[in-house]
Amino acid sequence: MTIHVDGLSAVRAGRTILHPTNLSLPQGSRIGLVGPSGSGKSTLCYALIDRLQAEGIAVAHVPQSPDEALDPLRTLAFHWRQAERALGIAPDPARKGDLFRALRLQGQSLNVRPWAWSRGMQQRFVIAVALLAQPALLILDEPTSALDPVIAAATLSLVEHHIAETGTTLLIVTHDLGLAAARAAHLMVMHEGRVVEQAATADLLARPVSSPAQSLVAHRNWAVLPC
Amino acid sequence: MNGAAELLLRSVVVLSGTAILTFILLWHAPGDPALTIAVARYDSVVSADVVDRIRTESGLDAGFWTAFSHWITPLLSGDLGNSSVSGRPIWPELRTAILLTLPLALMGLLIGLALSIPLAILAVRHPGGWIDRGAVALASLGAAMPAYWLALLLILAFAVKLLWFPAMGTGSAAHLVLPGLTLGLGVAASLTRILRSALLEAKGAPFLPALARRGVGPRERAFSHVAPHAAIPVLTVAGLELAFLLEGAVMVEVIFARPGLGGFLIHAIQARDFPKVQAVVMLTAILFVTVNLLTDLLYRLVDPRIGTRDA
Amino acid sequence: MLTVERLTVRRGGREVLRDVSLSLAPGKTLAVLGESGAGKSTLIASVLGLINPEHGMVSWDGRPIARGAVALVMQEPRAAFNSRLTLRRSVCEPLRARGLPEDQDRFFRLCRGLELEPDLLARRPNQISIGQAQRAGVLRALIAAPPLILFDEPLSALDAATQKHTARLISAIQREEGFAALIVTHDLGYAAAHAENIAVLREGRIEEAADADVFFRNPQSSYGQSLVNAAVALGALEHRAA
Repeated sequence: MTIHVDGLSAVRAGRTILHPTNLSLPQGSRIGLVGPSGSGKSTLCYALIDRLQAEGIAVAHVPQSPDEALDPLRTLAFHWRQAERALGIAPDPARKGDLFRALRLQGQSLNVRPWAWSRGMQQRFVIAVALLAQPALLILDEPTSALDPVIAAATLSLVEHHIAETGTTLLIVTHDLGLAAARAAHLMVMHEGRVVEQAATADLLARPVSSPAQSLVAHRNWAVLPC
Repeated sequence: MNGAAELLLRSVVVLSGTAILTFILLWHAPGDPALTIAVARYDSVVSADVVDRIRTESGLDAGFWTAFSHWITPLLSGDLGNSSVSGRPIWPELRTAILLTLPLALMGLLIGLALSIPLAILAVRHPGGWIDRGAVALASLGAAMPAYWLALLLILAFAVKLLWFPAMGTGSAAHLVLPGLTLGLGVAASLTRILRSALLEAKGAPFLPALARRGVGPRERAFSHVAPHAAIPVLTVAGLELAFLLEGAVMVEVIFARPGLGGFLIHAIQARDFPKVQAVVMLTAILFVTVNLLTDLLYRLVDPRIGTRDA
Repeated sequence: MLTVERLTVRRGGREVLRDVSLSLAPGKTLAVLGESGAGKSTLIASVLGLINPEHGMVSWDGRPIARGAVALVMQEPRAAFNSRLTLRRSVCEPLRARGLPEDQDRFFRLCRGLELEPDLLARRPNQISIGQAQRAGVLRALIAAPPLILFDEPLSALDAATQKHTARLISAIQREEGFAALIVTHDLGYAAAHAENIAVLREGRIEEAADADVFFRNPQSSYGQSLVNAAVALGALEHRAA
């Protein structure tokens, strides 16, 4: 099922921060949403989440830092039960086991506060909570910025591997075109509250049309390694 | 160092510091305590012999360290000593005073909590809205208004004009209303400000939007997440609030001519009955240390990061 | 020449740096790579002279480094400035601290090099963009012409495009000024593009130290390999036929 939304927009304090936007995200695709900070990426995400939730489509969002997803005063077990209750599902140890194995969290005690775990593990826990909802769309917000690169790369691979089996669509939101290009087949470029360009990754890298996309492509890589 | 041991050690240091400091201050207080005691005791002009006898009897001539050890040794086994004026043990009289003050303090605390909690919760619903601004204005007014002035206003309105409650004295529950209200309004003013800012900060916690997106309802967010986070700064100032409550109670008692700790302390000071003054000071110090210990323990219960952070 | 010799630092009973040796020549850039907790901040504090090591030493041209002789560019550009002072005042602080006069020519030349309008520096930190604030941070580090500047994750608060632009400005000004730069970062792309030397720090030890070309072509340690692989997987580095 392709996720399709029309006329997403947002206005704050009389200023349009998201111009009317139509999106269509094919099932199981990996899409990168790219733009500098302040270009409206987060606004688009939150508008999309609200719209999909209103239509009854399961969508999950993983913020860039675990601090934005977990209460430091509450145990991980509490967060897990709370997520189950919010979804209205009965405790399902088998499903929990599957998710924890998929994200390499098996064998850990959940009766600790989040900060007893490393940030990488916390982030994987947050992703497990997100996947508990069996979302049609999973949004990863700047998935690398709060983690060390080795851990971030491993986490992304685990997530991609898992959702390839479930047919979940993945939206990676980032300011870093290099990251999006490395992980997504399709790219959307945002600039000043508009999606100014969308194309397959290879096409956009080879022939950027809009000037924001051209500038992102020009600054894509730090360096090219010899083979 | 072990957390519990550190807390206990800190309490011991505070208590011994208080004991030594009050003793030094009272020892160096101006005037001749022996003369004052003699006047208080015989209520007339007394001869130098009598004053000297009292000086020896009360250990006032023995020098600082002897006097200090005479006082501190029984204190360590829980004996507050005898009044230097009447010669009778201090504790029974002090206990009576405490039992008179306790209902007033509790009443003040109760009124304070009953007013400030709903007011703060309403205020932070719409920060900057008219309820919020009203609450802040009321709290500032309450903090700026001295207890004696508020007490006079209340007496004027409810005792003199409306004749609803008695203005002075003690005896019935109705006697407790105006002093309780005076104290409670002051407590409410300071608690509202603390609660309001604690709630505002807790409501801005970075993880709350994610919980909402996960489908966690507003009730659960408020009770399971905002409330514990707001409790931390409130606990921090619990000791200060207690100070406010005690100081307020003593002042309110004097204004409303209620017997209690306030009267006990003032009479003791006027009569230069230093053992009594010291007893009150030590009791207050013990109360504070206990409250701070409890706060620290509660703190660790609510936020286990405290105490493990350095590990 | 910066020399770090067999540096061991113990904190809270744990060795956070063990037997770390590094050297860095004037005008060159050394990137220290590693994950958080590897001891990068401790290394910076040691070079700044803020920490007494258990043993080993840090020296410049054979002499111990005096406090304040080395400049630091911090990760959070705005937090690095006193929010109540104008940027100009903060930027010239290192001169006042060492009793040096303000050299107007040099000031304007550095501003030009960092693409900072001198008028902008009359403002306060929260009135300019993060990218501008970070360039002002670099200006403050440069102003007293220190022989060595430390950069602690200098770009991680910036956008991808701003990162690359800022890094180029810093490199250009480094060629003019000739300071040695020690960059602590977890961004391999930045290191690959701008550093001549690489050191991989892990759990307080140097796992690998090499010339940048050698390291990126063929990392020796297994951790160095996983860093390079991760950077490729995250699009910070790209393999392409030369």
